[in-house]
Amino acid sequence: MPQLNTDSIKERTFDAIVIGSGISGGWSAKELTEKGLKTLLLERGRDVQHIKDYPTTNMLPYEFEHRGEVPLAIKEKSPIVSKCYAFREDAMHFFVKDDEHPYVQEKPFDWIRGYQVGGKSLLWARQTQRWSDFDFEGPARDGFAVDWPIRYNDIAPWYSYVEKFAGIAGNRDGLKELPDGEFLPAYPLNAVEDYFKEQVKQNYKGRYVISARAAHLSQPQPIHIEQGRGQCQNRVLCQRGCPFGGYFSSNASTIPWAIKTGNLTLRPFSVVRSIIYDEQKGKSTGVKVIDTNTKEEIEYFADVIFVNASALNTNLILLNSTSHRFPNGLGNDSGVLGKYIAFHHYGGGVSGRYEGELDKFRTDGRNPAGCYIPRFRNVYQQETDFLRGYAAGFGAHRGFYSDTSPIGTSLKENLLNRKLGSWHVSSHMMGETIPKEKNNVTLDANKKDGWGIPQLKIDVDFDDNDAKMLQDYFDQVSEMFTAAGFKDVKTSKREGAPGLDIHEMGGVRMGHDPKTSMLNKWHQLHACKNVFVTDGACMTSTSTQNPSLSYMAFSARAVDYAVGEMKKGNL
Amino acid sequence: MIITGGITILPSCSGDPAKSSIQLNNLDISAAQEALLAEIAETFIPKTDTPGAKELKLHLFVLKMVDDCYPEADQKLFVSGLNSIDEIAKEKYSLAFAACTQQQRAGLLNSSEKELEASGDVLTFLNITKRRVIQGFTNSKFVMTDMKQYEMVPGRYNGYFPLTQQA
Repeated sequence: MPQLNTDSIKERTFDAIVIGSGISGGWSAKELTEKGLKTLLLERGRDVQHIKDYPTTNMLPYEFEHRGEVPLAIKEKSPIVSKCYAFREDAMHFFVKDDEHPYVQEKPFDWIRGYQVGGKSLLWARQTQRWSDFDFEGPARDGFAVDWPIRYNDIAPWYSYVEKFAGIAGNRDGLKELPDGEFLPAYPLNAVEDYFKEQVKQNYKGRYVISARAAHLSQPQPIHIEQGRGQCQNRVLCQRGCPFGGYFSSNASTIPWAIKTGNLTLRPFSVVRSIIYDEQKGKSTGVKVIDTNTKEEIEYFADVIFVNASALNTNLILLNSTSHRFPNGLGNDSGVLGKYIAFHHYGGGVSGRYEGELDKFRTDGRNPAGCYIPRFRNVYQQETDFLRGYAAGFGAHRGFYSDTSPIGTSLKENLLNRKLGSWHVSSHMMGETIPKEKNNVTLDANKKDGWGIPQLKIDVDFDDNDAKMLQDYFDQVSEMFTAAGFKDVKTSKREGAPGLDIHEMGGVRMGHDPKTSMLNKWHQLHACKNVFVTDGACMTSTSTQNPSLSYMAFSARAVDYAVGEMKKGNL
Repeated sequence: MIITGGITILPSCSGDPAKSSIQLNNLDISAAQEALLAEIAETFIPKTDTPGAKELKLHLFVLKMVDDCYPEADQKLFVSGLNSIDEIAKEKYSLAFAACTQQQRAGLLNSSEKELEASGDVLTFLNITKRRVIQGFTNSKFVMTDMKQYEMVPGRYNGYFPLTQQA
């Protein structure tokens, strides 16, 4: 029997464990396995294999029973996820249903989750803008949160590293506030987008409209072909999973790559209850997992643990990893674990209409990237009565319409002979929010989930800074639209709670000082050096850029450091 | 299997000829009501040299959507509105709806919107039916694929496509 037990422990022992297989966990696993470490990749949801498990990917619109609409019974059972723009009949199987994974809303918070292999990397908006030092230096300059322990130069080579592998389309725009990267050819702007770009250039100093950098293979390179991926075919049905591997996801890219090394063990249906801390060794020795099929608790062991469970679930795992040494959660000597949660604010939009000589053009085919307006507020100095600023998405579209007022043959004629509409322009805000101690997550003292794990209690809200910033976005972008001659300029505010932006961050923030932060500049827990956090939980501040590219770079950089330390015998 | 505008819907398990031909979870629709709905849908989008609503089974798509995507209150208004159509036809033309000419039918459906504003159920019924018949039509295999209004895999993007050029 003792022999059996030893064998069983051996089978459950790896060099490294990665918790979570989304965009950051996929990168951690790829890097660890490529460097020769036997790695266990744990995923709480089911397996989703590239192409094979994209059931709707090649379905035509009329092949959906409800033509894309989510049936009412499903919406009523999942009112929160039903608010998400991408929760539609073609992709709803990649979202967590509210009733299956409860959490406590101390204040309303729309938590949008994707529990499967690949996580939300299947569903993301594929926008990949680099941070600059205007972002990393934000908290120190403006006196909020704590100083980031890294700067652009620390991360720049790792941005390049992940961009080359993931495949990012973009132009070298030469903007200090949005550094250039390793780009495949950019998606071109259309006639009215180019027009607006020129108008903004003429009317404003320091404001730019560019082709958004996006994780699409506009021109695959050998490294992408080697991954089995091909050119983006402009379907823009990405949320279903792409049969061409045209956009980056863990499923299409990092996970199959990690599997090919022979060093990866992928274990779906594995919810991590906690990380094991060994008081004698003074470090973590593994994780406790609940198999969601058998409900059995199993321990797995490794020398190094990467926590990539998604921002808030990473907080949950650390909070639930208590020991004599860490009664308040793993690595939580400072008491900041779960605090300083922040998010992006996507609550505003501006729309308008173009009329003019460009009416002689329309678009043909589809653009998966769109346009991006980098942050122009408070970049070089504080200039408004709110802190930080916002980036904005922009796009011009021209669609068809039919007069549907008649009935009978004239209605049918109208539907079969559509008319080209006018050019419509629209923008949405991507605002930075300020991390605050009172925006926090904790474990509920009583409520548990289906696996006996305490439910996460989320206490996060907007503040006055967000309201002022939203108003400024409305004012500035409306003015930019009006100055460009757009007609019918209208603003729209998305009512509702934070969370729907799907960019929640923080709670396990990085910083120089163990007294005020959880992680050092290598993403190591200050107080438990063989545990690394490289997902959204690590974010000291949010800036405005879509965060996934930074998580990829953080993961690759942290693995490189971790493996170096292991070789030196320091971990 | 029943194809509605290009998609299959489960046939009713009951096999009862007096009942709707498709499986419905919430609505209780008789074969006669289904036949009437087919005539109404056909009035909105009639057969010409190309298929109409009945041939594309868009009335079954309407039923499917009302059954799965509307709250109970709207479902009730829909059914009672549907039931009123024959009465209105009899009042107006002394004929059942199905026996009316296309012109009479169109007149009825058009006039109902204006004249019967007090009758919420008929208006709700007509609004839902018209909207869903149009949706079913524009999202049908016939319109999207045969009439080339939808391209699944463009493989290209041109932001300066001249209107003078054919796609």
